[in-house]
Amino acid sequence: MTHLLEIDRATRRFGGVVAVNDVTAHVDEGELVGLIGPNGAGKTTLFNLISGFTPLSGGTVRFAGQTVNGKRPSQVARLGVSRTFQNLRVFPNMSVFDNVSVGAVGTLPQGPFGALFGGGQRAAQISERTWQALEAVGLTHAADELAANLPYGRRKYLEIARALAMQPRFLILDEPAAGLNDTETRELAAFIKRLHAQGLTIMLVEHDMNLVMSICQRVLVLATGRKIADGPPDVIRKDPAVLEAYLGVEA
Amino acid sequence: MIDPYYLQQLAIGLSLGMTYALMAIGFTLIFGVLNVVNFAHGEVYTVGAFAGLVLISALAPPMMAVLFIALAAGAAAGFTLERLAFKPFRRFTDEASLKSRAMRESTLLSSLAVSIIVREGLEIAFGSHMQSPPVQYLINTPVRVGSVVLATGDFIIFGVSAAMLIGLQYLLTRTRVGLSIRAVSNNPLGAKYVGIDTDRTIIMTFVVGSMMGAAAGILTALYYGAIFPAMGFVPGIKAFVAMVMGGLSSIPGAVICALILGVSESMATAFLSSGWADMVAYGFLILTLIFFPSGLFGAGRERV
Amino acid sequence: MSASDRKTGGLLVPIAIALLVFAVLPAGLAAFDRGYFYQVANVAMIFVLLSASMHLVTGVAGLLHLGHAAFYGVGAYTAALLTTKLGLGFTWTLPLSGLVAALVAFLVALPTMRLVSIYFAVATLAIGQMLYLVMLNWVDFTKGPNGIIVTKGLELFGFSLSGRLASYYTIAVVVMLCIVAISRLSHSYYGNALRSIREDDQCADAMGVRTIRLKMEAFTLSAFFAGIAGALWAHMTGYISPGDFKFSESILILAMVVVGGLGSLPGAVIGALLLILLPEGLRGMGDFRNIMVGLVMFLSILFLPKGLLGEVSALRLVRQQLGAAWRRTDNGIGIGWR
Repeated sequence: MTHLLEIDRATRRFGGVVAVNDVTAHVDEGELVGLIGPNGAGKTTLFNLISGFTPLSGGTVRFAGQTVNGKRPSQVARLGVSRTFQNLRVFPNMSVFDNVSVGAVGTLPQGPFGALFGGGQRAAQISERTWQALEAVGLTHAADELAANLPYGRRKYLEIARALAMQPRFLILDEPAAGLNDTETRELAAFIKRLHAQGLTIMLVEHDMNLVMSICQRVLVLATGRKIADGPPDVIRKDPAVLEAYLGVEA
Repeated sequence: MIDPYYLQQLAIGLSLGMTYALMAIGFTLIFGVLNVVNFAHGEVYTVGAFAGLVLISALAPPMMAVLFIALAAGAAAGFTLERLAFKPFRRFTDEASLKSRAMRESTLLSSLAVSIIVREGLEIAFGSHMQSPPVQYLINTPVRVGSVVLATGDFIIFGVSAAMLIGLQYLLTRTRVGLSIRAVSNNPLGAKYVGIDTDRTIIMTFVVGSMMGAAAGILTALYYGAIFPAMGFVPGIKAFVAMVMGGLSSIPGAVICALILGVSESMATAFLSSGWADMVAYGFLILTLIFFPSGLFGAGRERV
Repeated sequence: MSASDRKTGGLLVPIAIALLVFAVLPAGLAAFDRGYFYQVANVAMIFVLLSASMHLVTGVAGLLHLGHAAFYGVGAYTAALLTTKLGLGFTWTLPLSGLVAALVAFLVALPTMRLVSIYFAVATLAIGQMLYLVMLNWVDFTKGPNGIIVTKGLELFGFSLSGRLASYYTIAVVVMLCIVAISRLSHSYYGNALRSIREDDQCADAMGVRTIRLKMEAFTLSAFFAGIAGALWAHMTGYISPGDFKFSESILILAMVVVGGLGSLPGAVIGALLLILLPEGLRGMGDFRNIMVGLVMFLSILFLPKGLLGEVSALRLVRQQLGAAWRRTDNGIGIGWR
């Protein structure tokens, strides 16, 4: 059976450094997969390869049967891949509503003639998607607030809303729990589970082990650019290679 | 045997190129240290020329004094420029902010604004028409070298520029100031951590770069005999072109490209009317930006 | 409330503006009946259009454009040449000027749009200069520094509109229509997509926004409106020369947008009015106009980085910032940007 996301011997070199080294993995439709690994393991680089942000030095990435290699991020986005960023990139000088609407208009484009002569239909579609996304993350009350004025935790949800407005088939979350306290992390975990329950395929990178182990169905482990483990949380937890990578312990 | 006319054009082109090189070095130094384009650099060229003119009109001093005053004026202008148009925007000293797009754009705009103010101010003070230094100061007396006729200016410009380049080399490699300039160019934050006063270093960079620009201004003014408030704009652009062609971070690259630019321009003037000569520089710029992202010699342009 | 709902003050403000421009002002002009006032009004309106078109490309899409006046010039020369060489009237030259300017912009943008922001800005500078040099030196075609006398004035399908009041109304109608168009473009989801490019173009790309294409559209559209302004100028003044379109004019237009506030269309309009009317008001300082432009631009960048009505929000936020700055008695410099 064809997987939704196929990573086939993906490699990424930066000069002398091999950030991602011959990684093969897959994600099936409807899964909730975690990606963990010590710092510098290549997790964000892998995300960048999947979403088209960085070109591949070797290997192939396929999404929904289409090759991702050489595509611009916007092309990959329109295939159905949507993402958030580790260092939280919202559009600071735009309102919450406008931020989220960019996600919608990226995939439901409105051109200049549409804007001028008011094809109200497209605008209505975009508007509806935007509100839906805002409702999903609970930010409808803050629609007019400037993104830069939102507290850190809320901005995370804003980014997710913006990604959701694209109505993606596959959502990549890059360290969503970074900077959140325990309560916020629990809320986030519940939120991600809800999204998943509604049928969204999700892959997330996280350092918070509890979060990953508690909600992910399957976990991929990277270390120094290589995939060292791939399996359900319970198995990964005890995998000697994983333990060694994290703790340097020879088990 | 090459037609002496072309050799003369070559010589003119080299002189022109040397003045562009002096300007380009200033640009490169400032860009290296602050990662911003100094739009007002062309004005220090003009300031140098006018300072010389004022001095000549007032005191009729010897040539060396004129050059010296021009340099001093350039230094002062550079200092003032840095304090006015660049310092106020360095509110945040972390690397991300220093290299942020917003900061670069606002300093571009602010240096642009200052350049307008300076240019218009000079126009109000001196009038917008072209002025000429008195004949005895002009350095374009013909000199015969074999069958080629050059001008004294060609030698003077070459000599002065060479001296300044050597001086710069010495400054950068043998003095503490030069060391700090190189350090800050390489890694502003790291330089701070090892105790280098980045603020002072930046000021010094502006001073040195502007001195060289002012020298270019006075030399060109004395060579061509034309001084007017808007004179710095186009050389400024050309110096920028040379810097980009040379790869942004490379002084030797900028110098070589400045010479190439000067020679191409003077050769073009031989075949086209002088009005089109400027096109050469703009054309080079566009071509370099599009086809040579890392410049002809350099270490490349970073993605913002 | 969505972007399209957020019209400034609902319907009241547009009606007030329409009244001002189409009723109050012309009445005043007719009452005083001095050619000079008409001239000022017409020039102001043309620059409002230029500033608004700049707002689209620089304020909304975030592309720093240092050669805008050149496209204004392309439009003006198109109108002048069509009139003098082909005998076409304003009815034809107006749209054609816009289209030609847009085409030139499109061709220019094709190779340069992928450049990173600062280098794109420099490229626009070079392009602007190259176009200016063409206007100046291609004497056979453009008559070079002598300029071109535009033999036909404003008209519509042969019906002459070159009387003082008629000219005013013609320019006002064209400018207003263009402003409405720019406003619709700017306050729409399309506008949001452009803004996202300004804010973070890599991120916008990740959201599916076709950044290169939208940048080219913004650039081309702004040139279209600049071309229209050029046609208005050519037929209104009856004489154009390269000096009208040199680099300092580009900077003037840029200053209008910067002062008024990047991202704000009302700001761009106010910036234009400010930088045209103020020097006229201080007529005695005729020579000082350019210095004032530089000064105003510099001060506004330093103290009001978001301009008068910057995108971030309205005067409210600016007052907030000023208020906070007054409370901090840092080093006594007074207003400072935190």
